[in-house]
Amino acid sequence: MSSNGSGSELLRIEGLQKHFPVTRGLVFQKEVGSVKAVDGVSFSLNAGETLGVVGESGCGKSTMARCIARLLEPTGGTISFEGRDITHLGRADMRPVRRDMMMVFQDPYASLNPRKRVGSIVGEPLEVHGVGTDTERKRRVQELLEIVGLNPEHYNRFPHEFSGGQRQRIGIARALAINPKLIICDEPVSALDVSVQAQILNLLKDLQDDFGLTYIFIAHDLNVVRHISDRVMVMYLGRAVELGSRDDLYREPKHPYTGALLSAVPIADPEQGRTRKQIILEGDVPSPLNPPEACHFHPRCPRFVDGKCNVDTPELVQHGSHLAACHFPLERWPMSEDEMRRRTGAASVPVAD
Amino acid sequence: MAAAALEVKDLSTSFRTDDGIVQAVSGVSFHLDQGATLGVVGESGSGKSVTFLTVMGLVDPRQATVRGSVLLQGEEMLGASQSRMRQIRGRTIGMIFQDPMTSLNPVKTIGWQLQEAVLIHQDVSKKEARRQAIDILKEVEIPRSDQRVDDYPHQFSGGMRQRVMIAMALINNPEILIADEPTTALDVTTQAQILRLMKKLQAEHETAIVMITHDLGVVAELADQVIVMYGGKVVEQANVDDLFAKPEMPYTWGLLGSLPRLNATGARLDQIPGQPPSLLNPPSGCPFHPRCEFVMNVCRTELPGLDASTVGHDHRFRCHLDDEARNRIWTQKKAALVGEDAA
Repeated sequence: MSSNGSGSELLRIEGLQKHFPVTRGLVFQKEVGSVKAVDGVSFSLNAGETLGVVGESGCGKSTMARCIARLLEPTGGTISFEGRDITHLGRADMRPVRRDMMMVFQDPYASLNPRKRVGSIVGEPLEVHGVGTDTERKRRVQELLEIVGLNPEHYNRFPHEFSGGQRQRIGIARALAINPKLIICDEPVSALDVSVQAQILNLLKDLQDDFGLTYIFIAHDLNVVRHISDRVMVMYLGRAVELGSRDDLYREPKHPYTGALLSAVPIADPEQGRTRKQIILEGDVPSPLNPPEACHFHPRCPRFVDGKCNVDTPELVQHGSHLAACHFPLERWPMSEDEMRRRTGAASVPVAD
Repeated sequence: MAAAALEVKDLSTSFRTDDGIVQAVSGVSFHLDQGATLGVVGESGSGKSVTFLTVMGLVDPRQATVRGSVLLQGEEMLGASQSRMRQIRGRTIGMIFQDPMTSLNPVKTIGWQLQEAVLIHQDVSKKEARRQAIDILKEVEIPRSDQRVDDYPHQFSGGMRQRVMIAMALINNPEILIADEPTTALDVTTQAQILRLMKKLQAEHETAIVMITHDLGVVAELADQVIVMYGGKVVEQANVDDLFAKPEMPYTWGLLGSLPRLNATGARLDQIPGQPPSLLNPPSGCPFHPRCEFVMNVCRTELPGLDASTVGHDHRFRCHLDDEARNRIWTQKKAALVGEDAA
């Protein structure tokens, strides 16, 4: 809801970078280059707000999430949480911050320890942070199971006794255990069936309303992101290419890549599907080891201008209602591939389907 | 209407397991016309993949019991010899699977694998087989196909590998192409490329396509006919426009409602409560009754027949609700969906 996000600033990311060194040689490892998985991403997030992050595989969205949760050490930039710089905090200093920041992972099969009972999985954060006595913890865990829609009596069961959707609920219960402020969800519904996916999305929304949670919601499914987010960031090869409020960004995408992504989503309505304008990009996402010069998107872009897009890196600046990193942003939407190629924005051109 | 390329009648497949008999597919019937596309929709465990593994003779007869009839261009496939099935797979029926990396041999070149498919089914020289391999790669729009034919699978990206899989399935110009979740593992822009490619190739070769997917969007884009499966049964079948214009079965309503839509805003999704059923202990009566919000007593005991809908030609569904109730409920549900669209 757009009513969310009126809170104070919870998280601020500035120029976040994560470069992975690429080495050659077995014994004397020599650095021959680096993969710029995240390359200068900035955004801020208010309490109670949901930021959706979309992009295709390899765009750096998961690496960014792991840097924010400080599971990976950022190469550059700053992460401020509640006004405090946490970019390079040590383990001990980081511990109290971790109470406020939790993660939910994609694969509900891999992210739960198969040898532990549900009770101890969900109760682990309480134990780590020394919250309550044993009986208090048990009561809290049962309360949490109930909150996420599981039977509190299943306290003593093992993860394999649950279905995929139920396991994702366990993962969410664990993330909620110590009342965090921020939950980073990394593709939390991608592995689930549609009907179960809807249950989890509704649950996440309910929890946000009940507990005033702030989410960073990472997904490759644009429909899902639109459903849950207040603001949306589109990433391509480690950079944010568009950032804006959900409605602005989906109604009027400015970056050609966002436009192509939106038009590539299959529409569950045969009639609309037949009449819509579609932009189908050629080729694949290039390797982040050797990304294209300047604007990373230029080799696939219908609006490419030689001498500009491959020379000058576009900054993420205001275009219309929101931010986009493009020299030749889209003038309107929807557009066909042909219309996108004309950079004049000649709205007078008759629209022929 | 052209003759059916594939006709399946009352097909049932069950597996013997240590825990008991799993009735994976029960009483499934459908037909696929020459050059048409059949979309098969369902969630995990709905029996959609097993149905087509059975059609291709790929279930292990030591563990599976199969009943019913599968007519491939009029020829009965159930009970056909293994050698006859081998002639058919790859020649009359081509297959594409979800994960292109595990379906390709990592230690052989793409060209070798494509040539193998040709040499098994056609009486041609190696040179001719290689020429066919290069041609088909060109057709699936792989750039520099005469060079890339000597590359190994790991040298291709995910989308390119799926193109290679399509090339391999089509190299012997089959009558039927069975694609099991071919775009599920791909990014949306790549998915759009692959769907466009499949449409193009279908138009050129008049191949009949079976598209097995959980994605109603993909079905809406590609299919002519759709069957919706749940708990090993067909619960609704219709042509694509009728299915989306007036779905008749509460499960189909639930599927449509639980889909977050691009043109809808943050309203609550119409979720289906509970989990898909266990096929080891299937629910009595209608397989959907434990999750159905309109459940009645009769639903718990009696499986509804596959009745004809008043909307559309050969539109059939399983539901005990009477016409009036279904019309009323769908009108409400539709209003909710369209209301979101307008918002």
